[in-house]
Amino acid sequence: MLWAIILLPLAGAALNGAVGRRLGKANVALIAIALMVGSFVLSLIAFAWAAKGVNLHFPGDTWFRIEGPDGRALVAIRWGLLVDRLSGTLALVITGVGSLIHVYSASYMEHEDDFGYARFFTYLNLFVAAMLTLVLGDSMVLTFVGWEGVGLCSYLLIGFWYKDPPKAYAGRKAFVTNRIGDFGFLIGVFAILSIFGTSEYGRVASIVNGASPASLIEGGAFAGWTLGAALTFATIGLFVGCCGKSAQIPLYVWLPDAMAGPTPVSALIHAATMVTAGVYLVARTSFLFALAPASMAIVTFVGALTAVVSAAIAFAQTDIKKVLAYSTVSQLGFMFIGVGSGAYFAGVLHLVTHAFFKACLFLGAGSVMHGMGDDTDIRNMGGLAKKMPDTAKTFGIATLAITGIVPLSGFFSKDAILAGALFSHNSWWPNVGKVAYVMGTLAAAGTAFYMVRVYALTFAGKPRTAAAEHAHESSPVMTVPLWILAILSIVALVLGLPAFPALGHWGEVFAHFTHPVFAQAIETLGIEEHVALWPFLVAWAVAVVFGGLSWAMYVGGLRGFPARFTTTFPGLARFTEDKFRVDELYDVMVLRPFRGLAYTLWRVIDRFIIEGIFVNGIPRTIAWISGVFRYFQNGDLQRYAAVIAAAAAVLLWTLMAGGLGR
Amino acid sequence: MSTLLTIVIFLPLAGALLSAFLPAGEPGQHRAIALTVSLITFFLSLGLWFGFDASPAAAEFQFETKVPWIASLGIGFHIGLDGVALLLLMLTTALTPLVVLSTWNAVQDRVKEFMIALLVLEMAMIGTFSALDLILFYVFWEALLIPMYLLIGVWGSANRIYATVKFFVYTFAASVLMLIAIIYVFFQAGGTFDYVAVRQSLNVGATAQSWLFLAFAVAFAVKVPMFPLHTWLPDAHTEAPTAGSVLLAAVLLKMGTFGFFRYAMPLFPEAALQWRGVIAVLAVIGIIYGALMSFVQTDMKRLVAYSSVSHLGFVMLGLMAITAEGLTGGVYQMLNHGVSTGALFLLVGMLYERRHTRLIVEYGGLAKRVPALAFTFVVVTLSSIGLPGTNGFVGEFLILSGTWLGRIGHAQPLAFVATIGVILGAVYMLWLVEKLFFGPLTKDENRTMPDMSWREIAIMAPLLVLIVVMGLFPQPFLTPAKPAVDRLVGRFEQADARLRAADPSRQPSVGTVQPAFAVLRPVAAPPPAETHNGTH
Repeated sequence: MLWAIILLPLAGAALNGAVGRRLGKANVALIAIALMVGSFVLSLIAFAWAAKGVNLHFPGDTWFRIEGPDGRALVAIRWGLLVDRLSGTLALVITGVGSLIHVYSASYMEHEDDFGYARFFTYLNLFVAAMLTLVLGDSMVLTFVGWEGVGLCSYLLIGFWYKDPPKAYAGRKAFVTNRIGDFGFLIGVFAILSIFGTSEYGRVASIVNGASPASLIEGGAFAGWTLGAALTFATIGLFVGCCGKSAQIPLYVWLPDAMAGPTPVSALIHAATMVTAGVYLVARTSFLFALAPASMAIVTFVGALTAVVSAAIAFAQTDIKKVLAYSTVSQLGFMFIGVGSGAYFAGVLHLVTHAFFKACLFLGAGSVMHGMGDDTDIRNMGGLAKKMPDTAKTFGIATLAITGIVPLSGFFSKDAILAGALFSHNSWWPNVGKVAYVMGTLAAAGTAFYMVRVYALTFAGKPRTAAAEHAHESSPVMTVPLWILAILSIVALVLGLPAFPALGHWGEVFAHFTHPVFAQAIETLGIEEHVALWPFLVAWAVAVVFGGLSWAMYVGGLRGFPARFTTTFPGLARFTEDKFRVDELYDVMVLRPFRGLAYTLWRVIDRFIIEGIFVNGIPRTIAWISGVFRYFQNGDLQRYAAVIAAAAAVLLWTLMAGGLGR
Repeated sequence: MSTLLTIVIFLPLAGALLSAFLPAGEPGQHRAIALTVSLITFFLSLGLWFGFDASPAAAEFQFETKVPWIASLGIGFHIGLDGVALLLLMLTTALTPLVVLSTWNAVQDRVKEFMIALLVLEMAMIGTFSALDLILFYVFWEALLIPMYLLIGVWGSANRIYATVKFFVYTFAASVLMLIAIIYVFFQAGGTFDYVAVRQSLNVGATAQSWLFLAFAVAFAVKVPMFPLHTWLPDAHTEAPTAGSVLLAAVLLKMGTFGFFRYAMPLFPEAALQWRGVIAVLAVIGIIYGALMSFVQTDMKRLVAYSSVSHLGFVMLGLMAITAEGLTGGVYQMLNHGVSTGALFLLVGMLYERRHTRLIVEYGGLAKRVPALAFTFVVVTLSSIGLPGTNGFVGEFLILSGTWLGRIGHAQPLAFVATIGVILGAVYMLWLVEKLFFGPLTKDENRTMPDMSWREIAIMAPLLVLIVVMGLFPQPFLTPAKPAVDRLVGRFEQADARLRAADPSRQPSVGTVQPAFAVLRPVAAPPPAETHNGTH
């Protein structure tokens, strides 16, 4: 029963939501964690089957189904689930990292009252259920169910402290921005339905297998288009959805604000799982993207652009969570470079390793916030390595992992992406892979720089404030998950070892593992194995050089440099600190015109034209005309007599004048 | 079982008569009568629900009763239900007891008259859905105006007279057009008002059909209401008492869409095909326009009223697509809108009862104070914006995919623009939620606001259950509509065939398109004559 994987956390949400506030915190946490672990164990079993090569497909009952008069099923949506090596891997990450974050939260959220505590775990469990639906659903419609479900939970959790207006607003901003993406997703689904008549991944894949993109569609919604063009339309629609959910340009603006939520939420939803849903969707529908090179080029380029732009913004942020948020946006960009350029396994692998080290970083940041009394400004920290040794060590390991220092997992996954992009061929934009490689390398340099900066300012040097002076380490309930995640971000390296002969069958073990999922796309694209050493050396050098430079600038000999930079280029520094003022731009370009349009339409069309001229204008005109008549028909006999007399006189005069004239 | 429907129609009237003979000084008695009668009506209507046979072989209209009424004029008392009418009837009978409960404390003035008006209203609503005779339909349709007029005009708020006159004149003026059309139809159909007979024997030329369709369509479009005939709605909703708003939104608006489904479209299919493009464009404008209007309102009832314009635009778009999905989705969305917007008006009414203001700025930060109310409001909001798992999603998905896959002209652009409404819905509804419930609690008057009482929970709980059940298990609600939808599609296919016989260059315009893969021509194809594989 695959549904049990989803229903367990859902049951936890239902139970805690209904009676959680009366159970006491310990019981609430116990219920939530126990059901998460149960779900993890079940996922593990399902994953084991998938690893053995048996895809578990549960066709499910009908959700809704419309038949035409001739009995042809026009829409048939089922509650079907699929565990293959891709969704199985993701399910493991979601339930595994999810369980750790649940444990961590049990301590982190202690300061809430009973109601808030129960509410938190209700939302968190609900989120996991929705996320699992997204991943395990066997059709795009079911993925969309999870897709919107996680959006809802994200909304609720960002606005968890809803009494604070900016936090409530951040939640709404996230939901609405995501909905813009969901609009694209829906259009994509409709397009897929009109091309294939189904949105079930397996069936779509088998229908499209071997089809030529140059085939001509002769009827229906895409009459006159080639198959490739129609698929390009559909996949771009899906990718708009990915841009919303996975915070890519131009829809990334909600994610940094989403940091208003409690930190475990940032770790689970806004780093490890939900935001990677877009990457998952592109990977899941890789066989469609492979037939639409234009879409793949767009995915690659948008990913690369996002990676480099958000890395640049991260340079100047002073809020530890904001840096991590932009870093997440940037890393998601890397994943899209991977899945956009055909290096599917690398994109997904980076998704997995990123889940480990970014969750570790966020939870570490949460631990720091606990120690610092909820201060998030890294300028107020410093020297915390001595006060919070476990947090510092795990944060350090994760920093090295994300930076891409050699033996850690981030190196292999990120560099597999960059190497994959470099050697990729796109028939629509032949050089997009190389462009993405350059931009990605720049972004990697930026990553090394700002991540080391954060670590240095937070943990190295001397305490800069009293709060930092008196910071304390968090409880083991919080540090143990940190250590597990840190260790995972080391050992996950085995998944991404490059395919050098010396490594034997351990080379690219994850690529072989996921090969069945991506075989169709890889075959369509005609990708060949390409092994080269030098991109790895370049990447390693970049990480070391820029990481070292950052260390020197914030701890070592070049310490005056950042301040001098700010004074030399004050405008640029401010511009970067203000996140390139994209929010302000959207405000002027989108929000205000939208509001203005709505208001103008209301005043002009509704109030003035329809109401003023027609609805009230016509009665008023009639009233005016009848008023004129009323003036004459007022029942005053003398006036009637006068009018009759005057009229008679005029008549008589006309007749007589006419008569005389003749 | 054919008397059951008659009983269901007139039981509320009997309750109203009973109330009329009892003294006005005992308001509790009248409340009890109204509640009991509406509950019994609901339980009896369950007999209709379970007795309905949705198999394709079953009779089109079930629970039929047909007796002469004014035989010399060809008017009969002919009632019966198809699946769509049944669904809407169930919506009416299920909501009325909840509405009666909602007025328990809110209405203290002239309780007797209020309850009588409510029961007469219920009778007229059920009758409208059940009638199978054009004059009978018209009588119920107009009879409905009187109690509604009184509900708004007597128990409404400050600006009620303006609103109620506007409501009356708007709908009445449009209905007169329909009456003229009905009388014309009478003469063209061989002297009968019987719906089934008229549908079979009506034979008019293309121009006359077009005018008849328009006469019906305008009457129904006002009721829906479709842009630009919608401006009576915000006023009527705003000034009406909660009970009036709920029934207005949940049931009365559906009479317009039901009218299209039952009368305007099947009686004049060729004219409907001619005009559907215009109506679909107006529907899409309504979706976007209504959402934009909602966004700039300061009065929460007005906001919800404009959101109805948007939601009913979806229904009309689904109907005009003339695909099985679109029509089914349209019907389903009628129910959804009844449940979720009805629930929204009930909730807004609860807030109003506590604070006696409809201005959004007077609230804020209520979530901590009234968590149960806030929770309910959020769930209903999610249903209203069509989150998957709630009823709204199924309806919107069917309508939009049905339009996308339809053969109406510009099907994809229409569906594309309509889908933008999905974004806008989230914009204004979440804005409302945030302004009402989140942020700090600033107004002192709100500090003592009580949470939902058991009575209020009893009102909302069935609706919440419906929202989830209809979202997760929609099939039992879709199945009854199927025979009626299939018959309508069939009628349109015949009409389309007639038009294509007259004009061979005309493309088929009804039903769902084939998926592209069924009509795909491979690149290196042999000569076209051989590739034709009969999939068309």
